[in-house]
Amino acid sequence: MNTAVWLVRREIWENRAIWMIPLVIGGCMLLVALFGRVDLMTAAPEVPSRAVGQIFLVAVGATFFTVMSVYATWYLLDCLYADRKDRSVLFWKSLPISDAMTVMSKLATALIVIPVLYFVAADLTTLMMAFIISVRAHAVVGGALWHADLWLQLQVLWLYMIAATAVWFLPIAGYLLVVSAWATRAVMLWSILPPIALIIGERWFFGTHVIAHQIGVRLVSLPAVAFNGKLGSWVTTVVDHDTIRTPASIWGFLDPVGFVSNPQTLIGAALGVGLIACAIQLRTRRTEI
Amino acid sequence: MSSLIEAHDLTKKYGAHLALDRAAFNVEAGRIVGLIGPNGAGKTTALRAILGLTSYEGQLRVLGHEPYRERTALMQDACFIADVAVLPSWLRVDQAIDFVAGVHPRFRRDRALELLARTTVTGRRRIRELSKGMKTQVHLALTMAIDAKLLVLDEPTLGLDILARRAFYDALVNDYMDETRTILITTHQVEEVENLLTDVLFIDKGRIVLDSSLDSIASRYAAIAVAAGDLDAARAEKPFYERRMLGKVVLYFEQPNFERLQTLGEVHTPSVSDLFVAKLSGGAE
Repeated sequence: MNTAVWLVRREIWENRAIWMIPLVIGGCMLLVALFGRVDLMTAAPEVPSRAVGQIFLVAVGATFFTVMSVYATWYLLDCLYADRKDRSVLFWKSLPISDAMTVMSKLATALIVIPVLYFVAADLTTLMMAFIISVRAHAVVGGALWHADLWLQLQVLWLYMIAATAVWFLPIAGYLLVVSAWATRAVMLWSILPPIALIIGERWFFGTHVIAHQIGVRLVSLPAVAFNGKLGSWVTTVVDHDTIRTPASIWGFLDPVGFVSNPQTLIGAALGVGLIACAIQLRTRRTEI
Repeated sequence: MSSLIEAHDLTKKYGAHLALDRAAFNVEAGRIVGLIGPNGAGKTTALRAILGLTSYEGQLRVLGHEPYRERTALMQDACFIADVAVLPSWLRVDQAIDFVAGVHPRFRRDRALELLARTTVTGRRRIRELSKGMKTQVHLALTMAIDAKLLVLDEPTLGLDILARRAFYDALVNDYMDETRTILITTHQVEEVENLLTDVLFIDKGRIVLDSSLDSIASRYAAIAVAAGDLDAARAEKPFYERRMLGKVVLYFEQPNFERLQTLGEVHTPSVSDLFVAKLSGGAE
């Protein structure tokens, strides 16, 4: 267990971007809150306070989440390649740490440590922004940002998203680790080429597009699988000519049972475990480039 | 006492190329063994197999472990410096010490700090900021602070200047080596290590062509320098290698009749490097 902690710490030492990027995003948002135009913040006072609060929380959260997804993808692609490239793998392998442990530490960093760090950063940012805006703008706008129940709901949403993302994207994470452990150069290119080759090959030889469809489903369908869009009651808010639809409450919105029992989730997770085992094997075999 | 490393029929193929061809050798505890061979002879492949970094055919036991399958367990008792400059450039010296202390049960932090205190390296420096010699000093300090039974060094002084090389070997012999330890070392610069070795393994084309202690080299091999006129008489003793130098010819013999040789000229024991050249350029049987 102790070794696992050291391995994760080592990842954070090596990849300082893990904490620097959320710090920079948070900093930029605080700058906007500090020096942004107050009249924009106080615009549309007719919009209900809860909707403003929700939009604010979700906008900040979604920004962090999007950047986190991109960074975690890059991290997974690089993590087993970088130390082979600079040959430091020969140092890491001189220590009594199994290849399985090494690969799992990188996977855990990408799927748990990085998302949790972004989550904390997003939380701190929203708190500080809400505080700054409350001081700068007038009470109505400020008050909209302090709905304790919305805040609590967002915490639940984040944690649910971290868990659901980790399970849903396990096959993609496993695939990226395989490429990272296998490629001798151009990991980015090697991560894209095989799926494209498979898609084109399938179309040529069989005239079908099952693979393309499955990859597409994997990339975009997490919300559809993890959230209960139909049952959740939505609140529609009209602002000028636009309508904003926001869920009335998070509780009816999350669908953990449906997500876990969805065959797509289960098949994906099984595939992911297989690919991770494959990455561990490659890590054992491939020491240098 | 059983051998620390036992290899039989050790074979490694890269496609059609045989990097190791049924190599067989033993390494006993408490020895300093030089694995010596020309480029591409299979030195590095042999070390990689011993360290569990590559798969192989044949039998190989290192400290009772099967290296490729049991690398993690093996690395509790063995450590290695494979080539210079493999410490990650982003790592800070104090982080390196913390990390190894955290994951290696046999690492002694006080020992590492003591070794580092003798160098000019300070803890907050990153590896990338250090010179090649300093990197090697850091790596050596980390490795020597591990209470390991076997230390494997693959070209440890490659690219270092003469001062750094000398300091490296001095530290190895004076501060590290004792009867509980065993060192296996490969290097091109045979002259530099031949004074500290107790045993040599010559490897050529994936096969072990000589496995001997330095003591037994003296009783097994001989060289004499003769003038051109005595050449035929000397050749009758069946040398396996001849080398012309400064108007004389040096002849190398394996298991000669020492008494008869002495009548031909002054008999001396060939140095490891001379024997290496003789063995590999002459008839390796």
